[in-house]
This record gives sequence, structure tokens and C-alpha cells, in this order.
Amino acid sequence: MANPLVQRELITMLRQRRMLLLQCGIATAFGLLVILRWPTEARMALSGTRSQEVFRLFAYGLLSALLLMLPVFPATSIVRERNSGTLALLLNTPLGSRRIFWGKLLAVMGLAGLILCLSLPSATACYALGGISLQGDLLAVYSLLALTALQYSALGLLVSTYATTTDAAVRWTYGLVLLSSVLSLGPYQFFQGTETILAEVGDWFRCASPFAALMSLSGAGGIGAVGLISTTDVAGRFTVISLILTVAYSLWTISRLNHTIFDQARDAGEISDDQDLGTRLLRRVVFIVDPQRRSRAIGPFVNPVMVKEFRCRRFGRLHWLLRLIAICAMLSLGLTYATVTGTVDWGVETIGGILVLMQVALLVLITPSLAAGLLSAERETGGWPLLQMTPLSVLRIVWGKLLSVILTLLLVLCATLPGYVVMVYIEPGLRLQVERVVICLFATAGFAMLLSAAVGSLFRRTASATAMAYAALLAVCGAPLLVWLGRDAPFGHDTVERALLINPVAAALSVIRSTGFRDYQLIPGNWWFLGIGSVVCLLVLIGQTRRISRPQ
Amino acid sequence: MNSNKPAVVIEHLTKRYGGFTALEDLSLTLPAGQILGLIGPNGAGKTTAIKILVGLAKPTSGTARIGDVDCVADARRIKQLVGYMPDRFGSYDNMRVREYLDFFGAAFGIPRRARIQRIEEVLETTNTAYMRDKFVESLSHGMQQRVGIARTLLHDPQVLILDEPANGLDPQARIEMRDLLIRLAKLGKTLIVTSHILPELSRICDRVAILTHGRLRAFGTVDEISRQVSQRRTMEALLASPEQLAVAASVIRELIEPGAEVIEAPADAAVRFKTALLEAQLGELLTQLIQRGIRVTQFREVQTDLEAAFMSFANQKDGEKASIGK
Repeated sequence: MANPLVQRELITMLRQRRMLLLQCGIATAFGLLVILRWPTEARMALSGTRSQEVFRLFAYGLLSALLLMLPVFPATSIVRERNSGTLALLLNTPLGSRRIFWGKLLAVMGLAGLILCLSLPSATACYALGGISLQGDLLAVYSLLALTALQYSALGLLVSTYATTTDAAVRWTYGLVLLSSVLSLGPYQFFQGTETILAEVGDWFRCASPFAALMSLSGAGGIGAVGLISTTDVAGRFTVISLILTVAYSLWTISRLNHTIFDQARDAGEISDDQDLGTRLLRRVVFIVDPQRRSRAIGPFVNPVMVKEFRCRRFGRLHWLLRLIAICAMLSLGLTYATVTGTVDWGVETIGGILVLMQVALLVLITPSLAAGLLSAERETGGWPLLQMTPLSVLRIVWGKLLSVILTLLLVLCATLPGYVVMVYIEPGLRLQVERVVICLFATAGFAMLLSAAVGSLFRRTASATAMAYAALLAVCGAPLLVWLGRDAPFGHDTVERALLINPVAAALSVIRSTGFRDYQLIPGNWWFLGIGSVVCLLVLIGQTRRISRPQ
Repeated sequence: MNSNKPAVVIEHLTKRYGGFTALEDLSLTLPAGQILGLIGPNGAGKTTAIKILVGLAKPTSGTARIGDVDCVADARRIKQLVGYMPDRFGSYDNMRVREYLDFFGAAFGIPRRARIQRIEEVLETTNTAYMRDKFVESLSHGMQQRVGIARTLLHDPQVLILDEPANGLDPQARIEMRDLLIRLAKLGKTLIVTSHILPELSRICDRVAILTHGRLRAFGTVDEISRQVSQRRTMEALLASPEQLAVAASVIRELIEPGAEVIEAPADAAVRFKTALLEAQLGELLTQLIQRGIRVTQFREVQTDLEAAFMSFANQKDGEKASIGK
């Protein structure tokens, strides 16, 4: 291979045992996906509808798998090299920043190609069933998937040049992927059909999502299309946006791949307490809680591990928490106000649906980043033997760590609750529903935290822990929605309801009687699932902590 | 801890991982207030021995005690008695040095007021007071090592176990580290230090234990170990001119043990030889050399340093077990 980096990156990636498992897993999963919906009747419909249903489901699954598995590789690629010192060696070779970037991008694309190739037998099975065309369906879908892989690989590499740790790179990359692929669908759902600028902006946002483009290609309507037919060429727009973004990300990353990536002064550790009164007051006004002020010693009745977790988390400091809470509260109230005063057609259910989606998205986005690395970060940085050498018991360590996540999530959730208060004020009859939704959200937060912590505890590296925690949580929150997308065909009502039973998002949306979910009875079944799942995850976490604490 | 009692007692300690023996029948005793240097090549079993001492590993057989406390049966009490600094610093992001020490102080249950005071004390002891507001991850390696020692001192342990404290330090930082360890020993702490930088160890350690392939090859003071390396002393006679080297060598061969090694070094105008002769016999040898007209400018014993001793033990095969002092 011309670029030595491609060989090194791709071969070393494929040499890992987990890659073998990944490949086998992908091939099996796609095979099962097709077998699940393969027609078993003696008669065949000539229209090809069944084949299209199977292919649609398969395409969504493939896109979801790509978005779940791929971003972790580019996200960790540059930051890991930088931290291990090999990036400096690479930049010292005549390769140059462009070839380094292309080498890394091609290596990730090689992996994406492998994933897509592994899905080919299942795709050809759909094709053999008839009803789907080679160019119009198969080639178009695979081109879209390749474009998606390219865009998110370039994004991951860009994030990797800015991140200082691998887990931070994974967090930011998955956050941005979730934002641009799923959350970008949100504005359109709520403004479609209106002749406002917001509707147009929402339409463009939607076109940035590969899910919207895939739905358009596979002939399905929008997720919340409420019977409206859109004339927008979503796939075409997505292609343009994706290509522009890929080029922009690539140029940006190449411009960062030079000595400046290392040219960062060590933090001088300035303290506001040593500065003059004017500066101190100004900082107080700006920050409310000045992050550069000397912190007080840990109090007598506080779990020191919890305080440590808050202090060593970049966004765990009080001034960041205050900002996050303020933003959540403002968004929650602002959304409620805007929808109530601006749109007469919207029912309270729609507003509730937006709130629920926002809150769950926020939970899915921030919980794995807070909880996945609780143990692996200690093991990776060498802090675990130090904690073991203190008289703190294993349970106290785990509790301190969980408490730091619980408090953050509680604050975030409480900050979003004012919107519900306004809803209940507008329509008092909704009180019971809102109460149930709030229970759903708290149960979701608890489950997301324990699932992330349990999955993360199984890994030694924080980046792997974070990536797998995101994958697990997104699988629970996203996979049933794939079944829900095929709610009229190929899946029946009962199948969809059973699939949604494990989904906390669907449960909350069904309680608030949101469009598309009001027909499913998911409570209390979902609460049972979340409760039992949380207990199991807690046991796994405690067991794993005890295992690594035991003398070897 | 009573100063008359040994601070550390290890008896017949063996640790096996499946078929691999990491540590075999290690026995040694260290009096309180002394510094023990644990040396050996990579994979010699140093870290395994340390991990058993601090309760992070269980021995397959044998016992280890710090004071009166069993390291295996009473790991909780060991944590209060021992300050352990692993070979990795254990950094936390976004934490200042004072916050870092505050956390570990709180984890050890030191009350708030006492902790604030104790942090200042350990910062002074380790000369790191000027770093208190710096972020731990932004510290240089040498600074981190000193903060690491400050961390181990927080709960005022009697025994400090430091794994490679001088590893990766520049000469200036190594000297500072050496002075710090000597200062800690003067404060009455018992120290167990592993290191690859042997000249540093030979200067500060009261006792040295050499481990290879999981076995203790030698244990004692540096002088005792040097003597164990070779029962025969290496002597050197420096001559005024190299022309007399052959004559001098033949006189020496005549008077020392038959078959003993005698080396002529024309470049240094020196004859070196190994002998078990006593001081009086060596005096007679010198007299004979002078009487035969050989102009001797210096006649002396060549000291075996710790590095030579270590190399001698490191090159030994498993079967060749040296005499071990206890």
C-alpha cells in the first residue's frame, strides 16, 4: 500500500480479537435481521412489498450499526497517537499532514468498507427476493452509507485533534453524531406544514441526517410525517451537505496536524484569590462560582470520592453545572412559551413530546459520558491502586462515584421540569400523565446511569468503556425504534409493543400520548424492565468493583 | 512502632501465577528507621513483593508483617501503617495539587482542620509548597514524583514503600529525591525503595536486597554484599613504567595462590589480581616487589561497587545460589 499509515492502522485494527468478534457479530446480526422477516408463506406476492419491507429494516439496521461502531475508531485515532508520543514521530517523517490525514481516513474507511461488505450477503438475499432494484435501491443505499461513513470519520478525526484524552474524544464524537443524525430530525417534526422560516430551517436540518436521507431513499415518510407529503429532495440535499461537511472537516483537520497541536503551555494554575479585588469581583459576576477560586477542604460528612469526581470532571465544577442547569431551565420554559403562544394547532401532547424527547436526548447524551468511565478511568490513569490503599470500602467508593452522577442528572432533570409545570397549569387534567412522565424520566436516568457504569466497568480503557456504554444505551433506546418504524408493515401492533416495552423513550412518549406512541400500553411493563435492569446492572457494577479490588 | 522491633518481617514468601513463579521463598527483616533498596532486573519480583507488602496481592505461601500487622490477614490496618507510591503517579484531571492531597487526606479520614495543616506540612517536607495551586496533570515528572511522596506521607505512615521513585528523573531531580529520602529516614520512617539507578541506592540505603528470577540473591549492607560477590579481593599495583609489568606479574604469580587470575594492563601500567591473602601477606608481597627493584607507585584494593555486585548476581544462573545474609 502506498500510504504506510493505512497498512499500520488497518492491519493493527483488524489484528485485535475484538475485531474478529465484531465481524462475526455483524454478519450474524444482519443474517438474523433478514431471516426474521423472510417470507415463510407458500405463496409469494409479486409486488415486492415484502422484500422492500425487509430491505428497509435491513438498511436502518445497517446505518445504525455503522453509526454505533465506526465513530470510536477515528475519534481515538489522533489523540491516542498524540498521548503516546507517536504523532510527534509521524509529524517528524516526510509524510506530511495531508498524507497522515488521508492514511488515517482511508484506514477507517477500510473498516467501514469491511462492515458494509459483511452486510452484502444479507443485502443480496433481499435483492434475490425481488422488488428492489440494483441501482435505485441497493447501490443508492450503499452510496449513502459510504458517504455517511466518510462524513463521520472526518468528523471523528477532527474531534480527535482537539481532544486531550481518548474518552473525551469519544464523548464529543458520539455527541455530535447523535446531534447531527437524530436530533437534527427534531425541529422539522414540530414545524412541518407551516410556512415559516423555522419550517424551512427545520427542513434543512432534517436533510443533514442520514436517517432522513435513508427514509427518503427507501420510500418511507418522515418519522413524524403526520400525513404530510414533503417535496424536498432529502437524499440530494444530504449528499451536498455531507460532501461539504466532509471537505470542511478534512481541511480543518489537516490544518491542525502540525507542531501547533503540541504547542500548548502548561497551565500556570492561576488563582483568583491572589488577584486584586476588582478582578475578583468581576470574575464573581461572570462566573457566579469562580472556577479559579481556592476550593475549600472536603467537609466531614461528604463522600470524598464524590467530591473528587466532581472536581476532576471538566464539566463537573459548579460553574459549569450552573450553566448547564440554567440552559436546561431556559430551554424548557422557552420551548413551552414559544409553542403555547406561537402555534395554536399544537396540543399539550405535542409540547410534552418535544420536552420528553429533549430530556431523553440529553440523558442519552450526557449519562454515558459521566458514568461509563467511573472505574476504567481510575484503572487507566493508575488511580485505582491509590484508592485501594485508602481505608475507603469498595461500596463507599462506588457510592461516591454514583452519587456524583446522580446529583448531576438530578439537577439537569429538575432544571427541565418547569416546562411540565406550565403544561399542567395550561391543562390541569394532564397532571397524572405528567407525574408518570416524570417517573419515566427518573427511571430512565437511573437505568442509563447504571447501564453505562456496569458496561463501562467491564473495560480497562475509558475510550472503550465510553464507546460501549453509548452503544449499549443507544441500542436500548434506538433498536426498538427501528421496529417501531416498521409498525404498520412488516411488524404488527403486538410485536412493536413488545419491542417498545424495553424502551424508556417510547414509554415516556406513550404516557404523554405523543403521536405514534399513544396506541401502545407500555406502563408498567417498562418500569419493571428498567427496575430489574437497573438492579442487574448495579450488581454487575458492584461485582466488577469487588473483583478488581481483590488482592491478586 | 517500637524502634527495637523490626519494622518489616518477610518469611518464606512465595507467589505463583499458574505455572510461573514470580517470587520464591523470600525472607528478610528490616529494622525500623532504615532504608532498604530492593534491586533486580525487570521481572525479578520486586513489584510482586511490594504488592504483597501493601496488601494488593496475596502470597501463595509465607507471611509478611509490617510491625505486628499481617499484610494478608489485616490489609485494612496495613493501609494506615504503610504509605505506598506505585511506579505510576495516578493523576486526576483538573485537580490542583492541594485538592489532590485534600482528597487523599479525606479518604484516609483525617479531620478537616488537621488535614489542612497536614497538607501544608507534607508540602513543606517534600519542598512542593510552591506547587499547591498547580494542576497535577500539568506537573513535570519530577514534580509529580515529589507530590506522590507528599501523598504517601499524608496519613503519617511508619513505613514508606516507593516503587521506582527516581525513575525518569533528571540528575538535579534525582539528587533532590535522594535528599528527600534521607530526610524522611531521619524523621524515623522506614523506607523500602526499588530502583534501577544503583549508585543512588548505594548512597542512601542502609541495606540492599538483590532479587533475580523471583529469588533473593543477596541481602545486607552494600559492603557485605560486595564481599559476598567475591571472597577474593581484587588488588591493583600501579607501576612507575609499563616496562616492569612482566616482572611484576611473575613476582605476584609466585607469591599468591596458584592459578589465581593476574592481569597486566599496559595502558594503565598496572597489574590486577584476585587473591584471598590477608593484610599481612599482602604487605609481604609489596615488600617483595620493592626489594626486586619494581617501582610501585600505588598498591590498593579495587572496591566492588553495587553495580558490579548486581551484575554478578544478575548473571548467576538459578542453580548458583549465593550465600545470603539475613
